[in-house]
Amino acid sequence: MKVVSLDPRVARLEFREEHWHHQRPLRKGEQWPTYEVFQMKKRGTQAVHVGIVHAPSPEIALAFAKEQYTRRGTTVRLWVVPSDQIYSTAPEDEVIFATTPEKIHREPFAYKVKEKIERYKKIRKA
Amino acid sequence: MYGTIHITEEEYGHFAEMLRQEDPEKLAEFEARIERGEKIEPDDWMPRLYRKQVLRMIEQHAHSEIIGALPEGTWITRAPGFRRKMALMAKVQDEIGHAQLLYSAAETLGKTREEMINDLLSGQSKYSNVFNYPAKTWADVTVIGFLVDAGAIINQVTNSKGSYGPYVRALERICYEEAFHLKQGHDAFVALATGTPAQRAMLQDALNRWWRPLMHFFGPPDELSKHTKVLTKWKVKMATNDEMRQWFLDQYVPKIWELDLTLPDPNLRKDPETGKWEYSDPDWNEFFRVINGDGPLNKERLAVRRWAEEHGRWIREALAKPDKTYVTPFA
Amino acid sequence: MTAPYQSAVRELLFKMADDNLIMGHRNSEWVGLGPILEEDIALNSIAQDQTGYAWRLYQMLHQMQEADPDSLGFLRQPREYKCCHLVEYPIVDNGIGEYDFTLARHFFFDHAQLLRWDLLRTSSFEPLAQLAAKAMGEVRYHVFHANVWLKNLLEGNEESRQRMTEALMRTFPLALGIFEPGPHEAVLNNEKIFAGEDMLKSQWLDRVTAFLHSLDVELPDVTSVEPVYGGRYGYHSDHFDNLIAEMGEVLRAYPDAQAW
Repeated sequence: MKVVSLDPRVARLEFREEHWHHQRPLRKGEQWPTYEVFQMKKRGTQAVHVGIVHAPSPEIALAFAKEQYTRRGTTVRLWVVPSDQIYSTAPEDEVIFATTPEKIHREPFAYKVKEKIERYKKIRKA
Repeated sequence: MYGTIHITEEEYGHFAEMLRQEDPEKLAEFEARIERGEKIEPDDWMPRLYRKQVLRMIEQHAHSEIIGALPEGTWITRAPGFRRKMALMAKVQDEIGHAQLLYSAAETLGKTREEMINDLLSGQSKYSNVFNYPAKTWADVTVIGFLVDAGAIINQVTNSKGSYGPYVRALERICYEEAFHLKQGHDAFVALATGTPAQRAMLQDALNRWWRPLMHFFGPPDELSKHTKVLTKWKVKMATNDEMRQWFLDQYVPKIWELDLTLPDPNLRKDPETGKWEYSDPDWNEFFRVINGDGPLNKERLAVRRWAEEHGRWIREALAKPDKTYVTPFA
Repeated sequence: MTAPYQSAVRELLFKMADDNLIMGHRNSEWVGLGPILEEDIALNSIAQDQTGYAWRLYQMLHQMQEADPDSLGFLRQPREYKCCHLVEYPIVDNGIGEYDFTLARHFFFDHAQLLRWDLLRTSSFEPLAQLAAKAMGEVRYHVFHANVWLKNLLEGNEESRQRMTEALMRTFPLALGIFEPGPHEAVLNNEKIFAGEDMLKSQWLDRVTAFLHSLDVELPDVTSVEPVYGGRYGYHSDHFDNLIAEMGEVLRAYPDAQAW
């Protein structure tokens, strides 16, 4: 049954009774599993996580990732990883990282070299 | 560490009882995090109410994008010239891309894309009312491209300051692409407004028809909506409907009037003292009728989506991987 | 450029522009109707690329004193277009199929495009050689996309294999219409503008046959198939008049409009 529609494309589609009601729900897994996408925008920079695509295979995932995440700007490489291959720290583990900013012995600003040199010069003068 | 919080009806409205069931320490920590301006990530503890409200919000937004592709998509085959044809193809492509980004963000809250699409197609989930109206002429495309997108941008920019990490990330990407949509929409709109008398007439007619749906765009007035403090406290709702409507009128009515186009509301004016826009009551009965299924195109929009899902089924099933585990996305 | 050289170039440009315009137009009809969101987005890119080539090619014609690109693309009479029948067929209700037909058409068409652009990289007509260098990268991706889909669906399940195989068989005669020789084949070849449809067809047959053979699909012997010709001389399928009427609808309704 063709529908009278203002949209000429819709008017060309063949509608049946079932299109007016949701008679056949999508089944589990019908939208395919997901892949995580990583994009390297410029040579010499990191590949960065940008999102996911639903795809049935790695090559289709790469094609979809190209379409969804590289429509603008530059890209030199694109990676996809099945989502079930990502391992993550747990939210409770966030505390592990809490004291990292306090470890100033790893930072350049914890070393006051200029002060020592000034003190030495003063003493030598005297 | 954060102690507990005192849950009052005054602060939490009719959700208070539900929230008393939650772990009080975790709830306090959750609220403190939001207050500090930190984002909530998918695997953080969150009250069930937060998960439910955020999921519904993102899901509705996703549905709006996929349905929103239809009124403009129909004009690609009739676009007047190469520049408009290419721009419209790119724009509608972005909209479907936005749907994908938003479904992905919603998936982080534990609902699958199959479940969300089923809820859309069964009529259970809602989408933006504005797309239940027909795009009758090319001028309608320019009105949608300019003014509906303008409304969407106000919504998106506002919500991009919200608390849920995946939604914020999706919105940042979306806002960046919307800048092009608005520019090309405005460009096409102005081309008609500054064109021949026939082009202007087509545009004025489209404006007259779309003004009421545009006034409905941000939802019912604050006194009619169940405004809950807790959604603002949790940075789920970042501005009221009326606030966003005022921003829209303030930015865009002058842009319409500067082209000597009229709007079908004799009471539309900005009060010079208060700085607020006044307007005729835009018939909220119509809004509720349409959002509940009785608009000009509700049935057709969903029928088209059902057609698409049905006719693509053989491909999805041929390549389905029953042995592969689906995992809720992390981010 | 001599008059015969110009005529040959014109013929080539028109048929390439028309093929790309109409192919892009048909592919764009899937917007919002695709089998899954990500693929909806993918086919749209391909449609944009093709529409873009048409625009560039009409611009080249405009430089040769033809009308402006919008007029050439949207406002000619059906008989003036020189596209092949393959690209004219609608996406549904076409006697062959739906997304299976679209993928079969996409496979045949884009393999031919890639080879055509490759042959044009050394064209004596400089603008075409330059465009060919650019187009190769994009069309390489179109071919990757088509190949990946065909491979996955031919290896999918029984239904997808059957549907794709049938679609390929029934689209093949239409695809052969791409290579219908035009009136200026000799000049195109002699003046090194383009190596010609016969050369292109031969390379194309090798490529598509080999790819399909690796998936256990055998196309019929080309000598036993009646190619669908006529397009290159302005004789089009039953679908074409409606397509042209729809495409030019808004422009024709406002003939005095100067800008959109």
